[in-house]
Amino acid sequence: MIVVAKIALGMAGVAVAGAGVLCSEGVVHVKVVEKQPRGLHIHLIAPAMLAPIAVQLAPQRALSQAARQIQPNMPAIRAALEGLRDSGDLVLVDVKEPGQHVEVEKSGGSIVVDVDDASETVHVSAPIRAISSTVEQLAGRSKSL
Amino acid sequence: MMRQTMRRRTQIATALSILAAGMMALVGPGMAAPAEKYLHVNVQDPTNDGSVNVNVPLSMAEKILPAINNHDLHEGRVSIHSAEMNGVDVRALLDAVRTAPDNEFVTVKDKDSDVRVAKANGNIIVHVIDKKNKQQTVDVTVPLKVVDALFSTAKNDELDVAAALRALSDAGDVLLVTVQGSTEKVRVWVDSRNTQD
Repeated sequence: MIVVAKIALGMAGVAVAGAGVLCSEGVVHVKVVEKQPRGLHIHLIAPAMLAPIAVQLAPQRALSQAARQIQPNMPAIRAALEGLRDSGDLVLVDVKEPGQHVEVEKSGGSIVVDVDDASETVHVSAPIRAISSTVEQLAGRSKSL
Repeated sequence: MMRQTMRRRTQIATALSILAAGMMALVGPGMAAPAEKYLHVNVQDPTNDGSVNVNVPLSMAEKILPAINNHDLHEGRVSIHSAEMNGVDVRALLDAVRTAPDNEFVTVKDKDSDVRVAKANGNIIVHVIDKKNKQQTVDVTVPLKVVDALFSTAKNDELDVAAALRALSDAGDVLLVTVQGSTEKVRVWVDSRNTQD
């Protein structure tokens, strides 16, 4: 009985440690709600650490165009992400039109994008560190093309 | 005698140390790192009930600009083609403006527009009224330090935008551009607040 309890405790410890490692880079939060009856309703929370791994594992042809396009702009992207990391929380862009609102914000080490229009609301939040490593991974793929 | 002199010197040294510590305490906060400056853009369109607000930390813009190498923008500098200068020695012109007292330098009035260029309180001020576009007015205020930084490169056909941004960070709060159209109002300014409220 005690052995079983020890094994269970060990497994629980591994699970907690694994979850801790997975979430150490923060989480990516995506929420899409279509404003219509039976509309799409997506609510996704995933460890940010998975994003660069997903880019690494994605098929070459799926990413080749994006990788080629991002490569020449990497110095500017790196500088922008570094600048964002160093800056405090702030609303970067806020656009309001009748029936439409778009906001891009830096909040607590993450970039948060909120879009609210007549047909849907979209909320995306991703840690800057995860964006940085994902973009680096993507740019790295262009070298192997 | 010797001991008295020593004691006196020690007292003077102690008094000077306390004075120095007091001065450091007074000056210290002023010597702290300068506050972050933000470039704000605000577009208001009351007729369509729309607005656009953009807030960018100047330090971020300073980092990004030199990283962009594209067409005429390289390492934070913009190349100006000599044809666009029309043979004008901009540096000599700026030097003349810098040393001149506050004054109105250019006033042009015609049926389409009124243009005024003046120097006031260390700023170059440009005021344009576009009569064709329903009395659209444009006001541009640029600190002379920023203009100097813009032309601080060794090459005559380049504008150092990155240096101008750095100078803008060091300048105080300033309203750079105001455009008042018939339907829209645009403002571009720099201050130490990260919001537009």
